[in-house]
Amino acid sequence: MEKILDQREKIISEANKFRWELGENLHDILMENIYENAAEIAKKAVKYPDKEIAFSFDRTLDKILTSKYLGFPLMFIMLGVVFWLTIQGSNYPSGLLSNLLVDTIHPVLRSFAANIGFPWWLSGVLIDGAYLSMAWVVSVMLPPMAIFFPLYTLLEDFGYLPRVAFNMDPLYKKVGAHGRQALTMAMGFGCNAAGVIATRVIDSPRERLIAIITNNFSLCNGRWPTQILIATVFIGSAVPAYLAGIVSAAAVVFIAVLGIIFSLLVSWFLSRSLLKGEASAFSLELPPYRPPRVLQTLYTSLIDRTIFVLWRAVVFSVPAGMLIWLVANVTIDGVSLANHFIQYVNPIAFVFGLNGVIFLAYIIAIPANEIVIPTILMLTVANLGIQGVGAGSGVMFELESSADVAAILQAGGWTILTGINLMLFSLLHNPCSTTIFTIYKETRSWKWTLVSTFLPIAMGLTITFFVTQIWRLVTN
Amino acid sequence: MNEPLTLLLLGFAILILVFVLVKPESGIISLLLKNKNANQKTLLEDALKFIYNCEYNKINCTLNSIAGNLNISADAAAGIVAKLQNMGLIQVDRDYLTLTSEGKSYALRVIRVHRLWEKFLADETSMTEKDWHKAAEEIEHKLSVEETEKLAAQIGNPVFDPHGDPIPTAEGELPEKAGKHLTEMKPGEIATIIHIEDEPHAIYSQILAEGLYPGMQIRMIEVNDRRVKFEANGEECILSPLIAKSITIGPIKFEKPVEGKLKTLSHLKVGEKGVVLGIAKSLRGQQRRRLMDLGIVPGTEIEAELESISGDPVAYRVRGATIALRKDQADKIYLVKEEEKN
Repeated sequence: MEKILDQREKIISEANKFRWELGENLHDILMENIYENAAEIAKKAVKYPDKEIAFSFDRTLDKILTSKYLGFPLMFIMLGVVFWLTIQGSNYPSGLLSNLLVDTIHPVLRSFAANIGFPWWLSGVLIDGAYLSMAWVVSVMLPPMAIFFPLYTLLEDFGYLPRVAFNMDPLYKKVGAHGRQALTMAMGFGCNAAGVIATRVIDSPRERLIAIITNNFSLCNGRWPTQILIATVFIGSAVPAYLAGIVSAAAVVFIAVLGIIFSLLVSWFLSRSLLKGEASAFSLELPPYRPPRVLQTLYTSLIDRTIFVLWRAVVFSVPAGMLIWLVANVTIDGVSLANHFIQYVNPIAFVFGLNGVIFLAYIIAIPANEIVIPTILMLTVANLGIQGVGAGSGVMFELESSADVAAILQAGGWTILTGINLMLFSLLHNPCSTTIFTIYKETRSWKWTLVSTFLPIAMGLTITFFVTQIWRLVTN
Repeated sequence: MNEPLTLLLLGFAILILVFVLVKPESGIISLLLKNKNANQKTLLEDALKFIYNCEYNKINCTLNSIAGNLNISADAAAGIVAKLQNMGLIQVDRDYLTLTSEGKSYALRVIRVHRLWEKFLADETSMTEKDWHKAAEEIEHKLSVEETEKLAAQIGNPVFDPHGDPIPTAEGELPEKAGKHLTEMKPGEIATIIHIEDEPHAIYSQILAEGLYPGMQIRMIEVNDRRVKFEANGEECILSPLIAKSITIGPIKFEKPVEGKLKTLSHLKVGEKGVVLGIAKSLRGQQRRRLMDLGIVPGTEIEAELESISGDPVAYRVRGATIALRKDQADKIYLVKEEEKN
């Protein structure tokens, strides 16, 4: 046995010496020859009938969709229609769901708990905390996702999205990223967690990491309502009434565009610093166009994307709901934990032009951006001790009219500066826990998960800080 | 304290401080790390490596040349040499320094790590040629024997680094120096580049700027004291003899000889067809494998199909699929245009 092993070693080391003589190219040449032979055989054996007709149609369509004058306008129109359909189409089902889950079932559960003699704290934690936050997440998250994902998947299935990546690539090449990042970014406008999963289409490791880390800069579905509400309340009211609508809409669009600019800047920065050494390989297939398979698309986008993301959000929202209720109800020296925290953090938050309520809301409402505003309202009311608004301590709520929201927030000491900073901070803060968890699942690396979590917070705090100081300098 | 102006200035001060601290290359943190690395062990190993290279290239090695190479004073160099001598790694013969057999195997171990790491960076990361050497200079003093063998196994036990230098085996074997200098070629002779010396950096970057890399075919046109003129993969190139000395060439083995000037894929206009001759050796690792997986290999017919709005990337038709490639990739794929073939 010894002898055989010895002999083997000898043969291997002899063979290794030959490798030096053969030079470096041998592997490639071998591989090229194998391909060449395979192609030769395939040429003799395989025929492609009828391929040309479909191909010429593809070519015509491609010429239009990637043409100099029509390419970008067509792209903006298509994506614009998808977003419009999502926002408009989800209003009604969202209202319906919220009516059912929040306005109808929640009181029923409460009175049921009271009837069978639940102690107040148990029904508080379970029903006002866990159930309510879950119900809230489902009713505001489900409808937009159930509309956005299928529409997006249809465009993908038809073959249009790879052409978008093809057109957008030069911009992304400049910042060291992959053209397909345009697609994952667009997906991020629907949901960052889904956007992070969508980066699987980027087959180059470095570019994929860049796309994952910067996806959070796409203003997701959960943040649009916050932006619109705050813009209406603070920015719309600062201008004459006939301009209010346009100006607040412009402010929201400005924030979204700012997000795109940040995603490009951060991509540029990452590809030249932290990710300099990661592997990179570009290629982009433009598959043939084909009629989308509607039913299959509906099924897969609902199961794979919508339900999948929603489930993760629900799982996180249950403990967070309990936490939200507890911080508002557990008291030390007669003052709730929330109020202790708010008192303590207020001076620090003041430096950033925000307040303790906002900081606390962003910490405990981490499962979903959708519940940030209800949490802020609840905390403000509880902190000020306002009577007759909302449904009790620790119970999140929303108000029908933005005037009522304005009244509460102004009572809480909010100014137009707080509004602007909240809009900025809503764009630039950590991703929701669902997204953070998804980033970890996709990268399998704590390092990149932490970078994608804390980089936006650092940027958000820096920017709100400077905006605040300059604002105060100018207005004083 | 809540004066906006004070805070604003404080904020700027903190931003500048952070920038100074973490700036790559010249930030305080990276400078501190660098200083930590420049310790005794690093100097000793670098000196061994230098003496080994002198022997390999059959140059005499003196105390002064060590001091010059390591960028230290002659006194410091003397200290290093004394230490190496005490450790039994080198012997001093009159003014000349030579390695003992232990010294040689030590030096080869360090060189092995260096070249393996360069190979790893070239194949598995997107670092550019310019940065390989510097990164390898740091890592070579850090990896243990086990880590080195793990790395070698991971990248398939390569025998050449990306500059064309042979990588010593784990047992410390290394082949005799092969090939000759570019300046020793005669006009009309054909050969392949087998090695490009990566030190000194100034000369190496000039060679890189000419787009030369190991694996290129050379046809010599003119060689004299003032200039060296040749075709590299069909592209005319002129170097000064001093720079040309950094390039080593060897005979052509399996490659098909290149005839005339090579066209690249990026020259195809929309609608034009060509047949692939090969992918330049400077396209490595994952990028190269990806292109081959897509079927871009010698003999494949390829057609430019569609330009994107700005003209880059361009979509090509390859084996029934439409693939978009960026210009810097298409620049590295050689082909023959259809009408020229007939």
